[in-house]
Amino acid sequence: MEEEREDGGGGGSGKVVVVGLIEKATNSTRPEVDPRLLKAIKSVVRCSDYELRIASQTLMSFMKRDHSQVRYLTLLIIDELFMRSKLFRTVIVENLDQLLTLSIGFRRNLPLPAPQAVASVLRSKAIEFLEKWKTSFGIHYRQLRLGFDYLKNIHRFQFPNLQANAARIQQERREREMRTKEILLNKFETLKESFSSLKDEIQSTIDEISGCLGIIDTKDQNVPLVPVDDDDEMEEFRNSELRQIRLDSLREGDKVQESSENKVVFDALRELYKLLVTKHLVSVQEWISVLIRVDVADNRFRDVSLKEFIDIRNRLQLVKKKCEESGCALPNTVNNEDEDIWEEGITESSEIRTNKRSNDHDSESAPIEPRNETPCSTKVSNGNEEVSHEGGKAESNPLRNNLLAAAPVMKWGSFLDNWGSNRDFVANQRGLELEGHWGRVDYDAVIPADKIAELNVQTTLYKEEPMEIQLCRAPLRKGGLCQRRDLRVCPFHGPIIPRDSEGKPISQNSSMEKRTLELGTDLVEKLANQSLKNVRERDKDEAKKREYDKQALRRAKLAKVREHNEAVLWDAAVASTSRSSAIGDELETTNRRKSSARNKKQTLASMLKKKVTAKDRLAQRLLNTHSRDGTIKQLTLGEDANYREAFPNQW
Amino acid sequence: MWKEIGDRESGKLRPSLFSNRIRCNRLTSLQLSNHKEIVSPHRGSINSIQVDLTEGRYLLSGASDASVAVYDIQRATNYEGGSLVAKHNSIFVIDKQHDHGHKYAVSSAIWYPVDTGLFITGSYDHHINVWDTNTSQVVMNFKMPGKVYRTAMSSLATSHMLIAAGTEDVQVRLCDIASGAFAHTLSGHRDGVMSVEWSTSSEWVLVTGGCDGAIRFWDIRRAGCFCVLDQSHSQLGRRLPLLRRSATNKNLLSKSLSSGQNTSVKARALPKKSANSNVLKQSANSRNPSQTKGSGRQRLHPGMLSSQDRATAHYGAIIGLKGTEDGMYLLSAGSDSRVRLWDIESGCNTLVNFESARLQTSKAIQLAVTQDSALVFVPCMTAAKAFDVWSGKTMLTFRGHYEYVNCCCYSAQDQELYTGGNDRQILVWSPPKSISVEVDEWKRKGQAPAPDKDNWSD
Repeated sequence: MEEEREDGGGGGSGKVVVVGLIEKATNSTRPEVDPRLLKAIKSVVRCSDYELRIASQTLMSFMKRDHSQVRYLTLLIIDELFMRSKLFRTVIVENLDQLLTLSIGFRRNLPLPAPQAVASVLRSKAIEFLEKWKTSFGIHYRQLRLGFDYLKNIHRFQFPNLQANAARIQQERREREMRTKEILLNKFETLKESFSSLKDEIQSTIDEISGCLGIIDTKDQNVPLVPVDDDDEMEEFRNSELRQIRLDSLREGDKVQESSENKVVFDALRELYKLLVTKHLVSVQEWISVLIRVDVADNRFRDVSLKEFIDIRNRLQLVKKKCEESGCALPNTVNNEDEDIWEEGITESSEIRTNKRSNDHDSESAPIEPRNETPCSTKVSNGNEEVSHEGGKAESNPLRNNLLAAAPVMKWGSFLDNWGSNRDFVANQRGLELEGHWGRVDYDAVIPADKIAELNVQTTLYKEEPMEIQLCRAPLRKGGLCQRRDLRVCPFHGPIIPRDSEGKPISQNSSMEKRTLELGTDLVEKLANQSLKNVRERDKDEAKKREYDKQALRRAKLAKVREHNEAVLWDAAVASTSRSSAIGDELETTNRRKSSARNKKQTLASMLKKKVTAKDRLAQRLLNTHSRDGTIKQLTLGEDANYREAFPNQW
Repeated sequence: MWKEIGDRESGKLRPSLFSNRIRCNRLTSLQLSNHKEIVSPHRGSINSIQVDLTEGRYLLSGASDASVAVYDIQRATNYEGGSLVAKHNSIFVIDKQHDHGHKYAVSSAIWYPVDTGLFITGSYDHHINVWDTNTSQVVMNFKMPGKVYRTAMSSLATSHMLIAAGTEDVQVRLCDIASGAFAHTLSGHRDGVMSVEWSTSSEWVLVTGGCDGAIRFWDIRRAGCFCVLDQSHSQLGRRLPLLRRSATNKNLLSKSLSSGQNTSVKARALPKKSANSNVLKQSANSRNPSQTKGSGRQRLHPGMLSSQDRATAHYGAIIGLKGTEDGMYLLSAGSDSRVRLWDIESGCNTLVNFESARLQTSKAIQLAVTQDSALVFVPCMTAAKAFDVWSGKTMLTFRGHYEYVNCCCYSAQDQELYTGGNDRQILVWSPPKSISVEVDEWKRKGQAPAPDKDNWSD
């Protein structure tokens, strides 16, 4: 359409067209060129060599733009034309080094421009294109070969090597197919030989099973049955489910129960069943699949044996079903369940064990130790018995009893392991436990026991008293009461004061009373209340305003969407009408192009702009001097603490 | 072309003129050759290439990885793409693995001018090796005082076999292959010598260009240098032919006395020149009006005269020198990114402005001149350029290398240009084959690759 129009125009206007088209095509943030524009460009340059030369110049100049997205789209167009036009190839190949510099960015002083993500895509695409060009036209253009060799040999770029890869994959697949075919054929041959013996084997198994079943069945008939009273009892059980259950149970009852006398038969049956399921059925299945897949010249044997195998399989399945009905069945599932249970037992027991262990620990921690007692006096390092033992002792020794009553309760900790031990400790430089790690140990560097005792002394034992923090209970705007728990002041509703069920402060009266007593404080309070009220009002206003803003924003967005829709519709209309809109076109295109260009430029520019992510914001926040100082202090503190923890014996 | 052949047939064109025209035509259409490809075995930048002077068949290349290779540029070793691309593999390569090979970069590799049985390489490992081509063994070895930048042998010499070597050292040494010793040590440069060139008109005259920016002329039969080129001594354009010039001189003389003094000196000097064997020295001295008085002293030891001795031809190092075939002019390239054309006889800068963009500054480059000295090929950064010698206009630009071009070599016999660069490639630039020739070849060889043509799917 457009291009047809341009054909009439000739040289001067044509130039404008192809340049404009390219500009339009490259001015987009999408990862591919608009196919409509691309087609237009192609048909324009196809018609005249002049256009083609102009196009190549324009494309090269666009490649120099300082924006990877533009370069990327330009490169896509170049590739399209390169694969098609000989003239274009000869023109582009002249400046191939420049093109490669701009698209691959292999020169250190000319890296690819800004949006990094697009730049990397551009590079990989360019490399791919270069390889493609080289394989298709390399023989005719020394420059392509040169560029390829240069990048490959000197810059060691990894080319995707598409063609070779595809060939290799094809080759591999072919080889694999050949191998499988061969294997199948081999199997087929062996089957030919062993077919009869296989059949015999299966047949014998089936016979044995049927024999066993026969024995059981005969016994079955001996046993008196109870189907007689089945009917009248049916009357009582109206409920179908119940009836089903009953039927099942009856049928279960029908079955021959395994007993000492027929145990042998059952065992044999079970064995045979297992053989049937795990061996014969599987092998038959396998053979069937082999026969289906195998490709031989002589189909006769294959068809016959396939048929036979299918028969055998059906028979086997029948027998299997019978076996299952007869009661020796479901060995597998039962087994599984057994195993499951057993495993569960294990885990449980281990859990129990661990629980026990932790209990041990608890009881270990339980012993009460006097804070300042010398460590040699008691040894409670080894668990329960000793405690009980001590307990026994305690009764006999009232002094000790008293001491115990007065002693504070220590929390359980690792220091208890060495409680009261009198040995010296090796000061490991890394602060690691010696048992658990390999490392350099200096046996001369020891910390004497009394030092350790000193270090283990805990001078304060503060325990916070449990206390319930009151609810704020201020009435909320949306109804209900504020559920925040703060110690003194709720950040939203001021100081926590006793309130009634509706959230009204109860102590108002008391404060009124207080006013007569303490005027000064009252004034302060009043002022505070006033300010609070003011603040709340302002908050309310702001909330309202925010809502307004939000609405306005939504409206704007809708307007934008509408505008966009209109533009799209306009586009579509232009596309469908050919000549009629040509006149009005010019004017409007320029307008539209301007506007669209502005919009798009913004997007192109915005690609360049660094997006402010949460990470950045955080970084900025963190890099503030104020907060930095704070963090540094905090970090050093933390480090201190870590160090203290890591090197407890070096403090 | 057919018209010219017709003219030649009818005798309108003289044979030399005819061949010159054909050559010229082919020369102007030089482009990166697709059908001839030299497979470079080098793993470093190529510093020096030369086609042998006797047959024009063997190309010698020296590279930074201390390797030297020889190629047959007439006969391809194998073909690719249905005989479309002829590949010329190296006949032999000498690299570090060789027993007597160089240790560091080979900066210069030249053929023995008389035949292809010997070649000479100079390297950064301070050695100059003379190799036997057939056995690829070292036959002679010269230890130099510093890195060797450039070596040269005179193509005219009948009475000496001297290798002139420009090294890091300030002295230029002449190594005698006949005796295996240093025959001369020429001192005068104040810095290393990057380029060395024998005169193409006299076998005794050597030209050297140093890092100090001086171009010195030496007569190896006498002590000291007899001429230092000075960029500030200039004449406009090339000298006119003898007869016409004397006429113009007369005119000039009659027109202005003041300016005529200089030319009259020239005119007086003319008869002497033809008589004296030491042409250049005489004329160079007599050209210079400021030194006419002190010519007696200068003749004794001209290199010592400070005013002339300190003259520079370029601001910065002289990185390339090349004399024209007729021995009348000298082209020099400097690290100041200038190319200058010097009139050897007068020792003047001809003020031809070569439109070179930039030259690389750190390395010596190798220039090439066509036989009729119409074009000079200069490596300009990543491209090589062909300039018109007399006007300095850029006639052709050869873009193909991906890194700096170091050396050019023009084969007058085939009208082909060879360039070597830092990207380890030796590129062949040749006139395009006519399509009919290509088609004929395909037919003869029986297989054609997919032709290169338009492929519009839509």
